[in-house]
Amino acid sequence: MAQAAHRCLPRLGRDAPFGVAESSNPLLDPRSPLVMSNQSPPIPPSATATSRQASEERWRELMRSAQSGDARAYSLLLAELLPMLRRVVGHKWKNANTVEDIVQEILLSVHAVRHTYDSSRPFMPWLMTIANRRIADAARYHAGRAAHETTVDVMPETFSGDQPKSTQDLNETHDLLRQALSILPESQREAIELMKLKELTLAETAKVTGKSIASLKVSVHRAIKAMRAHLERK
Amino acid sequence: MIMDTEALLRSLTGDLRPVRRLAPPVRRAMGWFAASLAFALYVAHVVGLRHDLPVLFTDGRFIIEFAAMLLTGLMAAAAAFCAGCPGRPLWERFAPLPFAGLWIASVVFGCWQDLMRSGAAGLAVTPDPICLPTILALSTIPGAAILVMIRRGAPLAPLSTTALAALAALALGAAAMRLTHDGDANVMVLVWQVGSVAVLICAAMLFGRRLLHWPERHA
Repeated sequence: MAQAAHRCLPRLGRDAPFGVAESSNPLLDPRSPLVMSNQSPPIPPSATATSRQASEERWRELMRSAQSGDARAYSLLLAELLPMLRRVVGHKWKNANTVEDIVQEILLSVHAVRHTYDSSRPFMPWLMTIANRRIADAARYHAGRAAHETTVDVMPETFSGDQPKSTQDLNETHDLLRQALSILPESQREAIELMKLKELTLAETAKVTGKSIASLKVSVHRAIKAMRAHLERK
Repeated sequence: MIMDTEALLRSLTGDLRPVRRLAPPVRRAMGWFAASLAFALYVAHVVGLRHDLPVLFTDGRFIIEFAAMLLTGLMAAAAAFCAGCPGRPLWERFAPLPFAGLWIASVVFGCWQDLMRSGAAGLAVTPDPICLPTILALSTIPGAAILVMIRRGAPLAPLSTTALAALAALALGAAAMRLTHDGDANVMVLVWQVGSVAVLICAAMLFGRRLLHWPERHA
């Protein structure tokens, strides 16, 4: 039934999340008072509670439709949640550089557990619980990483000595690394090139090579071990 | 940042499929409890019920203890399912505690009765290593079932959710064991049965974060 309803809706283009097309559903109709628009007049303070309630009702409906597979309703929902999530995370997270990362994590989490939303219950507590949990996870992750970092006054240019390396030294290092790479079997070399030189993630490398993540981990581990042994011999 | 947020939104909505909504936690808890209780009773029947069972069910303290174990299992299952539903109140996670408290209190009261009846001999603790593996064996199937079910929820609180799920399965296992394991002094029940449940809950919590986690970003 949900799919049939979805077929009735107009097909949207690439910018679907930010566009609003005509629809028989009042919650998806731009003329509906429930739909938020950039051109709508500013909301007076007395109307804030009503507006909040309208948003709540609208998001609840959109989520219900999204659970039934309505991609358009889901696009609208996420597009409307995005600025609010940016505000919430920006308010709680001091490092502006990573705000967008956390917002993305929240969106991914919402997507992963969208089946847990019970439409008979309010939407905002559901969303905010996920958001707060992901912010807390990010804080734990960054705190854990910071515990293994050392603050230095001057960033060292090399790790092997006090003096910066000359061009000749660098060339020698590059040659050594090339040699070490050349002794590797093809599959290990490919894994190192993609993950360490091109800096692809495990999943991206798995997609490119057609190998499983587990076998890639093994390949990289063995490759680094072999290269280290080769460099130590040199 | 791995990708542009707008591109992420497009990828999330691009291949959207309908999802099966999670049933209300209480309904899931009732379903799990009914199936697990049937399993526990069947196993208890196969293993062999204790001979003094009819007499035990005339003892008010034992009835309270047994009912508290079953209610602890039921409420812990409901609490574990609630913990996987975002936006639900926090107090729900503590719902099994009064029943678990009643269970322990009834056993402690039994110890006091034994002390009054037999003196210090009533509180003698002897090794009974069979309790832990028996409870574990009786709880394995209900435990596996509830694990599958809690993994359908959101991993908001992996440790407490795992602990609650373990408590649910182990309380039921301990209840089944009370029907089969005869001749136990209450202090032995307190140390070996309640103690085994506590140890196994702690062991289950060690795996909490591995069992319940958010999906990998690029998995």
